Order: sequence, then structure tokens, then C-alpha cells
Amino acid sequence: MEAIRFEKVYFSYEAEDERGGEVFGSDSFALGGVDLTVEEGEFVAVLGHNGSGKSTLARLTNGLLSPSSGEITVLGLDARDEKNLFEIRKQVGIVFQNPDNQTVASIVEDDIAFGPENIGTPREEIGRRIEFALGAVGMEEFRGATPARLSGGQKQRVAIAGVLALKPRVMILDESTAMLDPRGRKEVMDVVLRLNREEKITVLLITHFPEEALLADRAVVMSRGKIVMEGKPAEVLTRKDELEKYALTMPRPIHICKELTAGGLPVADAMTAETLTENILSSLKEKPAVDLPSVTDERKAFYEDGEIGRVVCENLSYVYNPSQPFRTHALTGASLEIYPGDFFGILGHTGSGKSTFVQHLNALLKTPTAEKKYKPKKPKKGAPIPPKTVLVVDGYDLTDKKTDFKELRSKVGMVFQYPEYQLFAETVFEDVAFGLKNFKKGLSEDEIKTAVREALETVGLTYDEVKNRSPFELSGGQKRRVAIAGVIVTKPEILVLDEPAAGLDPLGKEEIMSLLHKIHKDWCKTVVIVSHDMDEIAENCTRAAIFAEGKVVAVDSPKTLFKDADELKRLGLDTPFTAKLVKGLAEKGVELDCDFTVDDFVRKTLAYAAEGGSHA
Amino acid sequence: MREVSFGQYYPAKSFVHKCDPRAKILFLIVYIVAVFLGKNFYALGACAFVFVLVAAFSGVPFKSLLRSVKAVLFLLVFMTVLNLFFYKGETILWQWKFIKISKEAIYYTIFLAVRLFLLVLGSSLLTLTTTPVSLADGIESLLSPLKLIRFPVHELALIMSIALRFIPILTDETQRIMNAQKARGADFESGGLVGRVKAIIPILIPLLISAFRRADELGDAMDARCYSGSKVRTKYKKLTFSWRDYLALLSCAALLAGVILLRIYTTALI
Repeated sequence: MEAIRFEKVYFSYEAEDERGGEVFGSDSFALGGVDLTVEEGEFVAVLGHNGSGKSTLARLTNGLLSPSSGEITVLGLDARDEKNLFEIRKQVGIVFQNPDNQTVASIVEDDIAFGPENIGTPREEIGRRIEFALGAVGMEEFRGATPARLSGGQKQRVAIAGVLALKPRVMILDESTAMLDPRGRKEVMDVVLRLNREEKITVLLITHFPEEALLADRAVVMSRGKIVMEGKPAEVLTRKDELEKYALTMPRPIHICKELTAGGLPVADAMTAETLTENILSSLKEKPAVDLPSVTDERKAFYEDGEIGRVVCENLSYVYNPSQPFRTHALTGASLEIYPGDFFGILGHTGSGKSTFVQHLNALLKTPTAEKKYKPKKPKKGAPIPPKTVLVVDGYDLTDKKTDFKELRSKVGMVFQYPEYQLFAETVFEDVAFGLKNFKKGLSEDEIKTAVREALETVGLTYDEVKNRSPFELSGGQKRRVAIAGVIVTKPEILVLDEPAAGLDPLGKEEIMSLLHKIHKDWCKTVVIVSHDMDEIAENCTRAAIFAEGKVVAVDSPKTLFKDADELKRLGLDTPFTAKLVKGLAEKGVELDCDFTVDDFVRKTLAYAAEGGSHA
Repeated sequence: MREVSFGQYYPAKSFVHKCDPRAKILFLIVYIVAVFLGKNFYALGACAFVFVLVAAFSGVPFKSLLRSVKAVLFLLVFMTVLNLFFYKGETILWQWKFIKISKEAIYYTIFLAVRLFLLVLGSSLLTLTTTPVSLADGIESLLSPLKLIRFPVHELALIMSIALRFIPILTDETQRIMNAQKARGADFESGGLVGRVKAIIPILIPLLISAFRRADELGDAMDARCYSGSKVRTKYKKLTFSWRDYLALLSCAALLAGVILLRIYTTALI
């Protein structure tokens, strides 16, 4: 039986209400004639760049929106008929993007009960459904927990349970993994896959991660409101040129296959690290004639001497709510040094102290000795002398309360997670100039204009086009760029970013990272990024530090850090995809000395093949 | 990660914590009535006795209870001073121009102070032993007879529940926006009144926009989970009375009866 059937569906936000305009042009349809059939029990992935219309698809399916024209049939019911909506919503559950904005209750089980309560399920049955739903997402022990305390992945699993409690036959995931870190994404995808395989629930997965689409039975690619590609994921996702045309990327394993093949080592397409490792091994056995790749410069950091751009931190500790019963020791003697010229990565799972550390860098959090009311105490006789805390950032001593913290903040820029949500001014110009005016009183109009223009153009926006527009009418990616411009406008010497690529699609991630490299080259001596994404760190950073339990457990180049996969696993961290390949190959006797960037991995593998594996 | 706490719930597993929120709310109402009905120190003594008894069974440390009094200390002192000087009594003990202090005034002032103390302590004992969520449940259940006159009890309860759910999220968000603007040189601590109000704008606007966005998304999510506010709606969590709750209600009825008897058979202070 068909679960969902779209026939020549057109939809325009203009006709619906005033929502449109921001993503879609004034004259375009969000959906322009979509034909799509999903069979019951099928797992279909819908891929597309932002604004391709893929989310509109989800909302049309259960009547949150209704089409301008065309027919939509869900499990045999006409979705355009309001009388059917209640029944359709019972059968079709949607899990949305933001894990925080879809729970109604402060206790997990109460939230899961919300759906069944709405359809009038008897009490005893609700209890059974909560049990079933929590079991299905593997969250049984969190029945009485508070959602606010859960991780992103756990919150989304609760959201899935909330939908499951309605016993739907179809589940739609509307970019439900976009805001999660890689670990959370995996948690959610494991659950979705199991629901499809074991509970036989039809799944429509809307995503911008090609890796996730690989798990589906069928992949559908949308662009500008139309379906442009369709087929087996393994087949659709290897069509490089076409995908690029629709602003999509290939999954990482396939990308590596293509690169190796292009370099003269034909490797069969693979979807996972394991099969890719095997495929590479079997290709190597055939002793192909590969030209020795030209050795390009390895990523090299150019460090400078002096205090500018340097961070020296020794024995930094921090306690939240020191005087209350629920105080937490966020940092317990962290030490590390960041050199001028570093593109530095900070790793660690939630609660490891990395955010607390980062907030010290521009004195949003201060050591006790830097507080205004601090008075040195006489040390008690006989008491052990605590180790001295040192925190010098960009030449400013942050343990001294006499330091000019405002001046420091203009030298150490800080970009928070989802910075676009901090925009507030009426025009882009005003917003970018906000920091500049705060820090440097008495600048002339012309000076401000020049600085704002320079900042906006650095982040890749055209000054004359955007300066007078409201920041709220820009697209998501543009907003993030404006927010970054608002920080770099004071020309900081150190730029700190918390998860700069969070929530972006793969192409958006690449763009932001190359923007940061540009800023690193031209504007800021030192760039520090906090990230959960090991591949991001491996691809971009010169050095990185791993935080665990309030301490720094390792500081090194990614090349050294990612070698010890077991140690990383012990700390609750993953390894980059390339590191998995290197490890798999090493177990079979193929030793590659690579720095874990995809480029270097390809180069080293080709070099190995060219030398006929002689140095194995 | 920062712990976000609001309200003043003191987690414990005591007799009072385990009571049904409705019983506790009713108890508090009766207790307040009793405190107001009492017109001499005997009656207040009875109330104080009951309070101490309940507090002893609540497992809440005395220090936490006193902290709640601190908040109204200023009001207490202010009222005391006012009453002391301006209560018109007959036995004048001390006089300076038009200000007189009488014996009656001293008694009356102490009486009022004790009464206020008992009220504040009683109410904070409720919030110390009941989570905001179950408090909301209790209020909803107690208000449910109002459904008969088409008062939207369920909607009100849902609004309360959602508000409670979003307080920690919005607190976090405010903190994050404040930090972000501070990092861009915003100054919230100095400047005159106008300056400070102006400094709030860069926090308030992003916060409002985000709250509206969240509301919009939450609305969609609720729709998708079949919310229609219809009558078929069932309720999973049902509050049930246990022996504890009957005991609580019985004892507060005894208190009320005692205070009324004292009112009839003893002389009034006022």
C-alpha cells in the first residue's frame, strides 16, 4: 500500500501567509509540481540544500500546510480535507529540527504522554505506550528526567518517543539531526533505522547530510521546489557533478573513492569505513600503475614569538555557584598554551569544561583574583599553598583585577554558537558597528564606515547590498556571516568561535571553514574553535587540545592526537573518518603516515600504491 | 554545564514531600485562614505549633526556611516600626512630641510580626517541598470544578506547564545573548538609568525574536501531535489521595477548629 502520494503538488508560501519572502523569492513556488510516492514500510531520504522545499514537503503531508494545487494522499486519506487531519496526524508523526522546541512538559514521561492524551487514550494504555516508546528509543532510565538536563541526541530521542507513543505508521524526520553533534546524530539515526526495520514504520527522512541518506532504501534530491534526482542512495549519491549542481556534497567515503580513482587507484564505491578499507586493500593488491603524486606542502603553522595572539594558561580552576549545594567544578586545574599563529581546536564532550575555559579567554568568566572585590588573603600557616594560576591572553594578565578587561575584549573576539540569534539592530550596518562603537569611542563616521565595509567584505558579503537591510530578512548563512563580521570588525588578534559550523549543511560548513582560514590569514593571528566534529578538527586545525573532567588531557597536532583511537574512545570521543581508515589499513599491514586530512590520506595512499607497497 | 534552578524547591523524600499537592495547597489555605482568625497569642501559638510540626516532618533544614524570611525582612521591620509608633494605645510608656509608644502598641506589634512570620514561613514551606510542576498539577485539579462555568482550566494548566518548561531554556538563552553582547563591548553594569535601559535593547530584541520563533515551532509540534484542546482529552497523571493526605487534611481541620474555639472562649488581643 502507498503510505504517501504527492501528485503534481504546487505550494507557495505567499498564498499561505506572510511567512515567505525570506527563503524563497517573491515569485517562486516553494514546491513547483512534485510527484512522489512512498510505499508503506519504505525508508526514503529527501536531500536538498536550504530552501529547496524539502521541509515544506513534511508540513504538507500532515496538514500543517495545505497545497495551492495538486493532490496529496496519506494512507488512503485526502490530506487536503480538514476532516481527515486528526486521523492523518495520528498516523503520521513528525520530529522537528530543534530538540528544545517540541517538548511541552518538564518531565520526560509527561511529555511522551502528551500525544496519547490528546487523542483520548485511556490511562493504563498511556502508561504502556510510554514504556514501549521509551524502550524503542533506548531511554527507559530517563522516564522521570528533566529534558533540560539531557544532551541534544537524548532530547531528540525523547521527541521521537513522543511521536511513537501515538503509534504512527509513518514517521517524518524534518532535519531532526541538523542541530546535533556527530554522536547525537548517530544515536538518532540508529533509532530511526531500527524503527524502520523492526517496527516496520515508514520513514521519510529529510536531511542535508548525504551520509544519512545512505541508510535509506531510496534517495530523492530536491532543488528549487522540484524533485531532480531519484534512485538507490548508492547510485544517486555517486553522481558528483549533478550533486554539485544542486549544492550538495557526496558522502565522505564516496568522495575518497572518487579521489583515489582519479589519482589512478580505482577503488569500488563504498559506504562505510569498513568496506572502504577492504576495497582499498583489494585495489592495492592488484598493483595498479599509479604515478607518484606530487608532494604538496604539508599543512604547516607559522608560529610567531611575542605575546600578541598567545594564550598561556596554567592551573585554571572554576567553580559554578561556589556557595550553593549544587556547585559544580567545571575546571580543575587546566593548563595549556596556544601559540600565535595557531588554528587551534578544542575538543571534549559536554561537561568537560571546554566552554568554561573558552569563556575565560575574554574575561566573560574571571578567576577569583580578577574579581573587583577580591582582596588577597593571608595564607594560613601550615596550609598547603595552592598552585599558582596563570592566565595570560594576548599579553593581558587575566588574574589581575587591574587589567583593562574592556580593552582585552576588543583584542579577543568571541563568536558564540548560533551567533545569528544575537543580531538585534535595525540594519546590518548598525549591528556590525555595535561592537566597534562600544570599544572605540570617538571614531569618525568615515572610520566606522570603512571598518564595517572591510569586515562585511571579508565575510563575503557585498557592503552596498546589505548595509541598509534588516539583518532579519537575510538567509541563515548570511546572518551568521553578519554576526561574525560584527566580531571581527574591531580587528581582534585572537578569534574564538564556539561550534562555528553548527547546524549548517556540508557545503555551508565548508564555506564557513574556508572563511575562517581567510580570517586567520588576513585578520586574526590566532583562531580557536570549539568543535564536536573530529573531521572538522582534523581537516582544519594546526593543533588541538582535549578537555576531560575539567582538565586538559592532551595538546598536540591532529596527526598525533588522532593516532590513539583507544584513548579517544575512553574519553568518549570519536576519531575522524580518515583515522578509521588508517587504523583499518594498518591492521592489514598497510602503514600510512598521514595527518588525517582527506587530501593527505588520498595522497599517501596513492604514494603507497605507486611504490608498490614496498615500504610496508 | 550550569545547573539552572528556579523557585526554591528543596529535594528530599519526606512525609511532606510525598503528600499530594492538592492536600498541601488546601492545608496552606486553611493554615492561612487560621492565622488570620487567631486574635491572641494562644491562637498564634497553636498555629506555630502546627507549623513547627509540619516543618519537622518536611526534612527541610531550618536555614533554608529562614532564607525565605530574609526576602520579606524589610517589610517586616517597616511594618513593625510604623505600628509601634502610631498604634493608639492607652498605657503610654514613652512620648516624644506626637509620637507615643504604648504598652498595647508593643503587644500588637509583636502579634503582627509573628503573624506575618507564620504566613511567610508557611507559604515557603509549600514551595520548598513541592516542585513547580506538581504545584501546577495541583492547582489545575483544584480549579477543575470551574470547568462547569466554562473557565478554561485545562488551557491555563497547559500554559503554566509550558512556561515552566521554557524557563530554564530562556534563562540559558538570556545568559548566552548577554555574554555575546558583552564580548562585543556592551556594558550592563555602569551608566545612568537611560544608559542602562538602552543597554537592555541588544538583549531584549534577540530574546523576543527567539521566543516567538520557539512559540511558532512549538505550536507546529503540538499540532503534529494531535493537540486540539478537545474534550476527548484524557490525563495520564492522576493525582491520588493517600493516608498521608487524609491525615494532613484532618490535622488542618483540627487546627481550624481549635483556633475558632480559642476565638470564642478566650479574650481577644485586638
